[in-house]
Amino acid sequence: MAEGKLIIDFEGAISFEIMEQLLNELKSAKQFNVLRKAVRKRVYGTVVESIDNIFKYAAIVQGKVKVLQRRPMIKVKENEGEFVVSAGNLVQNEQIDDLRFKLNRVNQMDDEALKSLYEEVINKEASEEDRGAGLGLITMALRTNENIRFTFDPAGPVHSYFTMHITIKD
Amino acid sequence: MEKLIIEPTANSPRILLDPEERNFEFSGESRPENVRKFYLPVLEWMEAYTAGVEGLEEDQRPSGLKCMFNFEYFNSTSAKYILDIFKSLNAIHALGIGLDIKWLYEEDDEDMLEVGQEMSRMSKLEFEYIIS
Repeated sequence: MAEGKLIIDFEGAISFEIMEQLLNELKSAKQFNVLRKAVRKRVYGTVVESIDNIFKYAAIVQGKVKVLQRRPMIKVKENEGEFVVSAGNLVQNEQIDDLRFKLNRVNQMDDEALKSLYEEVINKEASEEDRGAGLGLITMALRTNENIRFTFDPAGPVHSYFTMHITIKD
Repeated sequence: MEKLIIEPTANSPRILLDPEERNFEFSGESRPENVRKFYLPVLEWMEAYTAGVEGLEEDQRPSGLKCMFNFEYFNSTSAKYILDIFKSLNAIHALGIGLDIKWLYEEDDEDMLEVGQEMSRMSKLEFEYIIS
């Protein structure tokens, strides 16, 4: 998808205040406002969940390294009514297997299986749920008809840069 | 018991729990910075309300409760706490209190309708679905 317009293009430390700004940018974009309500909320919700996911990992990674080699990013790109939400953040290498397992699992599930996994995870106590890649990932998988694409790029001895792309179309 | 009113913000819903009017309302957007901190007082209020009702003789208990859920959007972390609210309502229902639960969704927002149906199924409570 070489063509298309970037509606959100942010790289840097993401705070809750920055999240508010980015969501306002999204809400004021013309391409976003022409979508029908349900699709608009899918894009909006995917951006919220992606940023929440970055927060969860940032909380783990920040304490471990003084200088982050690569900063988090969030992008929303629109092309002919199709939206791609991309999010990236550092993760610890030891988290990769679990994250890859969870992503592959939701990618292989149909809606019925996703809903039953959703029910299982939502009924767990908050402390039982693993940090990141829980309910948010399942919710995102339910809102897209395509697989969540993801990569892990090595970033130093103990970290990798995790990127995921979620496509939403009507 | 005092009523609980939480005014809305851009990222948190308006909540009204009014025992005198027997009316509970939730509306707006829910993705507060600290979801647990936001919903904990609500769940504690509901727990205290349930205990209060339980302490009453059966003929003294309120005859019914109106509950309106009019969420514009909620994130997945909020969903966990919203389900906890329904579980609390289920405990109230188990005391013989009739519940009139309305789940509002915007026309064309089939996802919000579907989430309501899931919440109803998981909490074993009957909802009425209304286009807002």
